[in-house]
Amino acid sequence: MDWLYNFPLKIAIDLESIDNAVKGFSVKYDGFFSIIKKGLSSFVSSINDVLNFIPWFVLIIFVVIVTWRISGKVRNGLLYGLMLLLIGAVGLWTLMIETLSIIIASVIIALLLGFPIGILASASDRFDRIIRPILDTMQTMPVFVYLIPAMMLFGLGKPPAVIATTVYAIVPMIRLTNHGIRQIDKEVVEASLAFGSTKMQSLIKVQIPQALPTIMTGVNQTLMMAMSMVVTTSMIGASGLGMEVLIAVNRVEMGRGLISGIAVVIIAIILDRITQGLIQSSEVGSDGE
Amino acid sequence: MKKFISILLLVGVISLTLVGCSGGNSAESKTISFADAGWDSIRFHNAIAGTIAEELWGYSWSEVSGSTPVTHQGLLSGEIDVHMEIWSANIASYDEDLENGRFQLLSSNFDDNNQGVYVPRYVIEGDAERGIEASAPDLQYLWDLKEYSDVFQDDEDPSMGRMYGAIPGWEADQLLNAQFTYHGLDENFIYFRPGSDAALATAITSAYEKGEPIAAYYWEPTWLLGMYDMVLLETKPYDPESFRTGETGFPPVDVTVGASNDFAGNEENAELIAFLSKYETSSALTSEGLAYMQDTGADYVDTAKWFLTQHSELLDQWLEAEDAQAIKDFLNN
Repeated sequence: MDWLYNFPLKIAIDLESIDNAVKGFSVKYDGFFSIIKKGLSSFVSSINDVLNFIPWFVLIIFVVIVTWRISGKVRNGLLYGLMLLLIGAVGLWTLMIETLSIIIASVIIALLLGFPIGILASASDRFDRIIRPILDTMQTMPVFVYLIPAMMLFGLGKPPAVIATTVYAIVPMIRLTNHGIRQIDKEVVEASLAFGSTKMQSLIKVQIPQALPTIMTGVNQTLMMAMSMVVTTSMIGASGLGMEVLIAVNRVEMGRGLISGIAVVIIAIILDRITQGLIQSSEVGSDGE
Repeated sequence: MKKFISILLLVGVISLTLVGCSGGNSAESKTISFADAGWDSIRFHNAIAGTIAEELWGYSWSEVSGSTPVTHQGLLSGEIDVHMEIWSANIASYDEDLENGRFQLLSSNFDDNNQGVYVPRYVIEGDAERGIEASAPDLQYLWDLKEYSDVFQDDEDPSMGRMYGAIPGWEADQLLNAQFTYHGLDENFIYFRPGSDAALATAITSAYEKGEPIAAYYWEPTWLLGMYDMVLLETKPYDPESFRTGETGFPPVDVTVGASNDFAGNEENAELIAFLSKYETSSALTSEGLAYMQDTGADYVDTAKWFLTQHSELLDQWLEAEDAQAIKDFLNN
């Protein structure tokens, strides 16, 4: 009965040569990758400097006003401001700034790359078919599989954290940009072309504004995905709230873990509400046209 | 008709599965699940104990993987039967759990291990073969690092040096951090927490492959320190009075063998527990096994068999005379 359960085919893959190839690659192109590393590192630290430059109460007041305007209720604005105040009160403010700077850097890169890729995918069925499995891989491949080579190339700390977060978070941006443009009525696009606009004009002035609510949902999802990588990236040495959670979990200190975990949730909620507001205002805008 | 065929198929699949299962489990089997906390030496010890248990008493054995706290919880809850390497100092609740009898302490596997801050040998002595010049020739003690902050430059803040610390949450992390501040390294060095064992090992591996300087926490016995030529920076020898302040070095960690209450309490396992209670190796012996595995590419079980033929005196020490002889006969075949 053995043939029923034993696999008949065995392919011997030389895993060691893959290891050596990656190691050799990282040695050979060290110069190139350290430029990227320096670039990412200074990108994150300049965002960090900007956030650090803003006094804490200004940031809180900003959140209160923005969330108040979005929800239209003073009570909601005050609630979110209070939650942010809480993070500062338990002494996690600087860690929060550090985490935020990694998130913001990754999201900016994800938007800059994801938006044009999404537009390309909406314009070409072939390109769409090619990237679809790639996007699936990016979201399902266990992070450590590509993090180990990423760490060999970019070292530990914030640069590989930004890369890992971007890889994971860029997917909804591409998908929803693509989807948003594709779902526009054919007639609308045809009408714009019939009135003599070029393809580019039709894209910028008609299609993108029409697709904006969906694209904004993509921005929102990208942010949330990036937030969910906070603890994972601390495992490759990214400091911030995630590291705090990691230390607490490794020491089975439930209280410390809960406090820093709640801080992560609070940031996620505030970022979610603010970007939800963007979705709403873009819906109003597109309805008005 | 369609329904009939699908029922027939279903019955066929079920009966085939049953045949397969009964074929596999013909004998009444005793199983051990070992903890695999993620490093090589524990898998090596699992293979040694597992091979002996399989051969003498017909156990089948498997490993349950997890991080240090997860495997410890597994041992407490009985999902893991035997933990061959409990790094007692790295588990916050170890003493408390032991006192409350939440697991059974069987023996001390080894307690002569080194841990601390390592630098590659080429940093101190240079490496003519690879064309690396000694960048920190007078480095010997941990506090000498202060002179070389520009050699071990931090990526994010180039004005500071970077020292890779221990895994966050380990006792070693707190102690090393205390040494770090006690010796004033915080003036021009950043204590960088690598986040995980995998990240730390990758940092060391990639620096070593590139021939770059690195100062990082690591511990022996590990494959990494067996494979790369690294030098442990000295500190003042461990002193129980002052090691918590960071003035003196790490205490030797008692790496123990433990079993879950359920497993140890089961009469059927009495012989195995008696064997494990005598189980004792040393850091040097473990490194020897790991180095053999690294050199030859053998798997854990083959390495364990090779190791036991090399050190058959250990068998006499661990087992009753006739059992030891039985294992020796098995290994010689």
